Amino acid sequence: MASILKLSQSVAKLSKNPNVSKVLRSASTATAEAKQVSLNVPPTKVTTLNNGIRVATEDWGSQTATVGIWIDAGSRYENAKNNGVAHFMEHMAFKGTGKRTQSQLELEIEDLGAQLNAYTSREQTVYYSKCFSKDVPKAVEILADIVQNAKLGEAEIERERGVILREMQEVESNLQEVVFDHLHATAYQGTPLANTILGPTANIRSINATDLRNYLNNHYKASRIVVAGAGGVCHEDLVKLAECNLGQINNTYSGEIPTLSPCRFTGSEIRVRDDTLPLAHIALAVEGAGWSDPDTLTLMVASTLLGAWDRSQASAKQNATNLARVSADEKLCHSFQSFNTCYKDTGLWGIYFVSDPLSIEDMVWNIQEEFMRLCVSVTEGEVERAKALLTASTLLQLDTSTAVCEDIGRQLLCYGRRLPPHELTHRINSITARNVRDVMYKYLYDRCPAIAAVGPVENLPDYNKIRSSMYWIRV
Amino acid sequence: MALQASKNITSTILHSKNKVWKSPNHFIKRCSSAEWSNLAERPKNKVTDMPPMSEPVKGLPRAVYSNFREENQQSKVTTLANGLRVASENRFGEFCTVGVVIDSGPRYEVAYPSGISHYLEKLAFNSTKYYPDRDEMINKLEKHGGICDSQASRDTFMYAASAYTTGLNDVIQLLAEATLRPQITLEEVEGAKQAIHFELETLLMRPEQETILMDMIHAAAYRDNTLGLPKLCPIQNLEKIDREMLFLYLSQHYTPKRMVIAGVGVEHERLVDTVQKYFVDIKPVWEVESLFGKRPVIEVDKSIAQYTGGLEQEECDIPQFASAGLPVLSHIMIGLEGCSHQDSDFIAMCVLNMMMGGGGSFSAGGPGKGMYTRLYTNVLNRYHWMYSATAYNHAYNDTGLFCIHASAPPNYMRDMVEVIVKELVNMTCHVGDQELRRAKTQLQSMLLMNLESRPVMFEDIGRQVLARGHRKRPEYFIKEIEKITQDDIIRVAKRLLMSQPSVAARGDLRKMPSLEYIQAGLIDSEGKMPSGRKLSLWR
Repeated sequence: MASILKLSQSVAKLSKNPNVSKVLRSASTATAEAKQVSLNVPPTKVTTLNNGIRVATEDWGSQTATVGIWIDAGSRYENAKNNGVAHFMEHMAFKGTGKRTQSQLELEIEDLGAQLNAYTSREQTVYYSKCFSKDVPKAVEILADIVQNAKLGEAEIERERGVILREMQEVESNLQEVVFDHLHATAYQGTPLANTILGPTANIRSINATDLRNYLNNHYKASRIVVAGAGGVCHEDLVKLAECNLGQINNTYSGEIPTLSPCRFTGSEIRVRDDTLPLAHIALAVEGAGWSDPDTLTLMVASTLLGAWDRSQASAKQNATNLARVSADEKLCHSFQSFNTCYKDTGLWGIYFVSDPLSIEDMVWNIQEEFMRLCVSVTEGEVERAKALLTASTLLQLDTSTAVCEDIGRQLLCYGRRLPPHELTHRINSITARNVRDVMYKYLYDRCPAIAAVGPVENLPDYNKIRSSMYWIRV
Repeated sequence: MALQASKNITSTILHSKNKVWKSPNHFIKRCSSAEWSNLAERPKNKVTDMPPMSEPVKGLPRAVYSNFREENQQSKVTTLANGLRVASENRFGEFCTVGVVIDSGPRYEVAYPSGISHYLEKLAFNSTKYYPDRDEMINKLEKHGGICDSQASRDTFMYAASAYTTGLNDVIQLLAEATLRPQITLEEVEGAKQAIHFELETLLMRPEQETILMDMIHAAAYRDNTLGLPKLCPIQNLEKIDREMLFLYLSQHYTPKRMVIAGVGVEHERLVDTVQKYFVDIKPVWEVESLFGKRPVIEVDKSIAQYTGGLEQEECDIPQFASAGLPVLSHIMIGLEGCSHQDSDFIAMCVLNMMMGGGGSFSAGGPGKGMYTRLYTNVLNRYHWMYSATAYNHAYNDTGLFCIHASAPPNYMRDMVEVIVKELVNMTCHVGDQELRRAKTQLQSMLLMNLESRPVMFEDIGRQVLARGHRKRPEYFIKEIEKITQDDIIRVAKRLLMSQPSVAARGDLRKMPSLEYIQAGLIDSEGKMPSGRKLSLWR
């Protein structure tokens, strides 16, 4: 124990020592040898309009494109009374505007051969359209229309309640989503991040046009909006389109200006024991880092080191992470996956698994053993491998205009810029085993975890016992 | 010494440890109060020496971005001396997708126990002659940021990998090893067997029925021959397939003339050179070793698919969706003989498929998912009990299968069949201007949107070159789609209706009508069933 503590103190001392800090700092400034690096991707251009809306594009001149509106708003900005309003609003956007009825809107999109989609998360609301490049002006006009002029008719609102309640039923049938909602509820108890995105049934039944209107007026504000485009989109054209379609949006608030209240993490647990379910679904997490924290990428590498696995993988025994190997050998679970969910100022880092009731205890033991290994003895070789995998999966994802547009929109909201690919690889490349251990020591070692468990979970060890395996006692 | 130092976890250690934990005497006071407070607060010192993600890293080299125009690209094809074809197209981006497309799959398995391709799919990218240790091979791929995958369809088998363009040489070597020089050890065969077993088990536990129904309708349409052979390894064949048989199959089907190497985002000349080096200069393992014992050589099945039509049904329990609100469903698929992708009616058939469209009654997604296609407007929006209705158009080298899949609670089985038959007959009656225009636009956009993705483009290049020796560009198809008229649609619809139906059904089938009844309905000019029973909205 003491030796580990000393280690962290010596790191603390290291960074105070001016000589060593110079060496350390050199990692954050790349070597000056290569002055220029050529990238085989088009640049991301960003322009800020007069009202504060940011427009960002990556143009590769294809015949199809994705354009969308990313809004810094979501269930995190809600309170107990109006929880669910952000998601309700997203639904209402497709139900007609002052200019077009619902069926006109649908037919217009269908006739263009385009797609219109939207989603709400805890911190972001997104509307986007995939279409022919020649139809980008039309798509932007439609997106701007549904975001600004949603009709919010009484009859449509009533009808949509039923649809949302049915959606809720679907969400509840997906146990993974249920577990993650419980995990948020316990980890962020007493703060807005504990709320679900859909909101409680009572709210879905009671939200009215005024609530929606208030929400719209208070959150869809110019400085919180990003217009992103990828594929066949000309930057200058998109800037002009955004100016003329979204130029009226302002930054003046009629009511109280919403603030982002910090969300406190509480180590705690929720157990929903239901012995009628065949398998136990369990998530175990500690507080991770926010989007822009420099530790985020290291936490991602650590997640990659835990890995993911399910029973259908024929070759699990070879070349898998430690946890995957032991899961396969000892038949500990049906599947597991590590996760690193980021928010603005906090995050959840952990693991989710599905297992037979009788193997829960062994699985948890092995997970925690692996946690400790990450804090203490993770090796250079496996970190190198995880880095390569992380870089590849991040860059390989950017395969379609929709994925790229999504990346642009999210990064503009989270980082205020788009990370150039060579910077991302540089950041990942400079992660070392030492850095992984330090980061794990900071976020994981001797931290109170948040636990959510659903199903036949009698065999999940008691909280204090799990807590007491978050550190090693040395004698 | 650490209490939990042992890394070799056995259950005995585990249990003894648990005992230790349970005893309160072992709860040692861990550290001094100063150290405790040090831990209680999250360390404030920076542990990752980087600026926040919102700030650029200083001193990085200046990036020179490419100025890429997609329309400037073209596909190139080279045929090597032994008949192996290499096709590629350049593209922007740091990554490339390359792979092998082979004229192989369950349709050629008639002389073998079905399931060979399913085994090969699971065995792909295991140990090879050059890489006896699979880990070493995968590590090499990972160094180039790569991933690999294999996929079997009824008549095409694909091995593909995506990686940094700089790793092309290693990736091609890996692909060549995986296709031409696998080891297929007994242990690997056993692993594949388990994986298939698990996959079949999972399939039976899931509410989605498409995979099983597709096998069934092909069996009905092509009477257990060629395309009618199952893609899923039948459970009774799991024990029948062995290493020698697999090698025998490989030696006959993985020949240069039956293969195309396709690449997206690579320089053509470099690709050709590397392919020559690893696919041609180094021989396949079955040419240098004798691997199939005393088995007689079985030649490739060259028979042309014969469409027969027919019925395949299975009375069984279909797992429910976990959510309480959803009903138990019975599934039906009704198919008609379509056309080959080389047929002049192929494009019209695709437009017709788009016009029928369909999907699920719930969670249809936003606008643009075909909300105004016929199976939505005439079926799903009209009959509240229909759970899903979707049109599929399968095209192969010598034939095709056009089918509609629908699901509803078992009580509505008969009504569901009537509704679908009526829609099939309706295809020959009238085509509206607007719906045709929409279907054409949607097909064009779907084509181009799918081709945004490198793996899809790889597959497109590979399949086209395999089938006809060159790749027709998307622009060609866009123009061809544009030419389709109402008459074309009605013509291909009539052509479809001339064939005998193929029917596959699964679930509670007590209310399932007979095949003759369906045939009679399809012959009737209004799609009316013989009983003359009227279809009521409310039953």
